[in-house]
This record gives sequence, structure tokens and C-alpha cells, in this order.
Amino acid sequence: MTDSLERTHLFEWHKSNGDVIPFAGWEMPVRYSDIRTEHMTVRDHVGIFDTTHMRRFWITGPQSLEFLQYLTTNNVRKLSVNGGHYSTCLNEHGGTRDDLMLYRVGENEYVWVTNASNGEKIWEHLNKHASKFDVHVNDRSKEVVMIAVQGPKALALLSKLAGRDVSDLPRFSCNRIDLAGRDCYLCRTGYTGEDGGEILLLDTPFTDTGKKKAIAFWEEILKQGEEFNVTPCGLGARDSLRLEAGLVLYGHELNEDTSPIEAGIPYAVKFKVDPHYIGYDVVRSHKKEGTIRKTRIGLIMIDKGIPRQGYSILLKGENVGEVTSGGMSPILHNGIALGFVKPNIVEIDDVVEIDIKGRIRKARVSNWPFYDTDKYGDRRVE
Amino acid sequence: MSEGKNVIEGLYYSKDHEWVKVESDDLVIIGITDFAQHSLHEITYVEVSEVGTTLNAGDECGLVESMKASSEIFTPLSGEVIEVNPALELSPEVVNESPYDKGWLMKMKPSNLQEEIASLMDAKAYSDYIDSL
Repeated sequence: MTDSLERTHLFEWHKSNGDVIPFAGWEMPVRYSDIRTEHMTVRDHVGIFDTTHMRRFWITGPQSLEFLQYLTTNNVRKLSVNGGHYSTCLNEHGGTRDDLMLYRVGENEYVWVTNASNGEKIWEHLNKHASKFDVHVNDRSKEVVMIAVQGPKALALLSKLAGRDVSDLPRFSCNRIDLAGRDCYLCRTGYTGEDGGEILLLDTPFTDTGKKKAIAFWEEILKQGEEFNVTPCGLGARDSLRLEAGLVLYGHELNEDTSPIEAGIPYAVKFKVDPHYIGYDVVRSHKKEGTIRKTRIGLIMIDKGIPRQGYSILLKGENVGEVTSGGMSPILHNGIALGFVKPNIVEIDDVVEIDIKGRIRKARVSNWPFYDTDKYGDRRVE
Repeated sequence: MSEGKNVIEGLYYSKDHEWVKVESDDLVIIGITDFAQHSLHEITYVEVSEVGTTLNAGDECGLVESMKASSEIFTPLSGEVIEVNPALELSPEVVNESPYDKGWLMKMKPSNLQEEIASLMDAKAYSDYIDSL
């Protein structure tokens, strides 16, 4: 069983320094110290995450734009060189194959970063449709290491690594720069609600030499980050941070039966696009005609208890939906959740009930992020 | 924190990793073992059946929530809950820090102690059991 699990370049470091668990076919660190400490270090200082288990596909060729617009929902034509955006890839029914980051790194060169759990599915999807366009798709996951640097001190740390101020690089941009003397793309993106970046460390093959290079780079970030109280963070904190920020996770808030409109990520979906992408008509109807079958809500517990995936959401005793992600918010010291309910039945601040293993407990419908955005996250007031 | 292998002599243990301390024929103390707290890691919330609840052996008697998951606790004995550890509400991490002492979960007046206690493991048997997992 364990033999079949994949490992990132940094596995040996994780194994020596953290608790490694199976995740989406990978052996990944769930924590190095404890999840709440790592979580709060990202909210207050800076944390780094190995996200190499995600997949990185390079799309090149004269018809890259048309190809990507046919497969993804954001407006690819609006991406300038060194620009990036969040997007989704749909099936014919408007359900979500995956959510992704798309970066344009050259005139006809794009990088598609997709979830580990959907890597193979998306790779097959890209190849299936690539033959209809003048494009070339290349899986460079094994030769590019990915590290997220997140938190209010992330840009200070990244600037130190770059030897220049990188805080002027716009959000979502993706620029090729040297970090700690290594050839990288620095993407001004992340998955924690905090400011920061995601580094694509280039020319790092999955060999002993490549692994050593990756570990040396990771350790260099930790060393240079000491003055900013940097900490390595595992998947546990990655999940609690994205939940507290209200960010969707595939397999929870997104799946083949859920459209991005239903999932509450309308900014990933555009309609003035050419060509129309797969699933266009369905999501257009969801957005313009309100034909959604469910809608995502946020929940904060009023009563005690921790909501978890699969628990029923009740309104006046009637089952109206289900929790898709839940847990303890280290900032609120309270249970929080994301879930789906029938459309147009609740508003913000309405009270619903959650069936916690037979215990009926009250929760309040809430906006996300769940934290005070003046105090935490990338819009915080300094 | 320990490596999760700490077992105390004189207590009784269930396969679900609860321990029982028999104070008298009318009073037992129940908690979760070092092995249980160690596997859960970072306990953030504990909920135990209310005082006055009558339970049968094997009934769910509470929830322990960690940062990653929710686990049910099952009472190894039948009886009535007579006290719940007041420290759990504000400091659930006490179960991680002191599973056999300050992190106890509930006190119970057992209704079928002699028969049910015989089905539990002693310290030696429980030690062998967790080594086998």
C-alpha cells in the first residue's frame, strides 16, 4: 500500500521533521509541530508549504489561447504575459472537473496548476482535446518543485530571497526571477487567505541531485526566514487556513455535480469569451437565469460542537443541505463550516441547525472569510 | 507529549481505548488512553453525556474533536453519569496532556460492574493489544 504512494522531492525532510500521512495518493506532512501553531504563524508571520504534489502542466503553441478557453471558464484572452487567474474546468453538464490556477508565462506559453487528486483526470482531458488544436501539452510536475510562502511577512521574506522588493508585483502575477540564486517563477497567489506567493522552482528533476537541490532551497527559505518567524506548515494547517478563509476544496465544495456558480466562485466564470468553453450553456443559465440546484453557505456554530463533512443542515427541522467542510477555527475558537443548501432559503445571519451525530445544534449563516478582514488576511489594515 | 504507549497499572481498558478506574462499587472514573489521545493529536473540543444520563455499555457517551477529525467515545460500562470533568470545556487539551489524571472524562455509578469489568483488559493485556495494532 505504502509502496504505491508518491513522494515529493522534499519527502526525506518531511519524514525527518514532521508527521507524514497518505493524502490523495501522496505521502505528505500533515504537521511539523501542531496544526494550530502552524495556522497562527501563517496568520501572524509567515509559513511555507510543500505543494509539489499538485500537478503542473505547460501548454505551448499558437492555439494555446483557444485551447485553454475551450477548457476553462475564466477569460483567457484577458491574461497578459506574466498574468495569472483562478479558473475552473467543467464537464458537459456544468459540473466541475477541477479548479486551477492558470498563468501566462510567455506569448504562447501557459502553466496550468491543478489539484493532486485530479492530476491524472485533467492530464487525460488535456491530451484528449489537444489533438484538435495546434498546441503542445507537457507535464512538468516532476521537474518543477512548488513551495507556497504565505502570511503577512511572506513578501518581506520573498523580497529578501529575491534581493529586491517584490511587493510591487501585482496579485496573481507570475514572474520569472531568481530566488536565493535559483531560477524560479514567483506567482503572487496562495490558498490561505493571506498575502504571499507560490514559488515554482525550475530545473529540479526527481533525482538525488534534484531532491538535494530542493531540500537545500527549502532550508534556505527557513534560514533566511528566521527573522520573520517562518515555520514549515503541513497539510493540516493548509486545510484549516483555507477553510477559515472560505476557500473551496475540490472533493468537498467542488465536484463533477457542482458548478462554480453553485459553489460561490463566480469570479472564476466569465461569459464574454470566445470560443465558448465546455459547460458554458449550463453555467450561463446558473448565473443569468438562477437555475442553480444548490448554493454554498458559510456557518459559524452558535451552540457547542464542531461541524464536519457529511453532517445534515436543517431549517425548522427539515433537511435542507449538507456540510462539505468543517472544523475548529483557531482565530474564532469556534466551529465553522462550509456547506450547501437549497437556493434562496437562507440569508446571512439566519439560524440553521446542524445534526452533529444525532445532536441538533444551532449555527449562524455567515459570510466568508470567517475572520475579521481588518485584522487578518490579505486585506488587513496594517 | 508521550509516544502514546503509556499504560497505567490497576486500570481496566477497552478495545476502543477507554480506561476505567474503579473507585468503589458505586463509583468509576472513565477516560481515554494515552494511545487514543496520541492518535487524535491536538484535541480541540470534548463533549460528554450530561450528568443524569443512563447509558448501556457500548453506548456513545461523547465526542472528542481534534484539528483533523471527530471521534466518538463509547462507554465501556453501563450506569448513570454522575459527574463530567469541568476542565474539558475550557481546556480540552488537558486530555492530551494528562489522559489518565487531569484529563478524565466522566464519573459514573455503574449498574453492572462485576460482570462488565470482567470483559475489559488489564494493563498488561492492553499493552499487548496496542503493540499488536
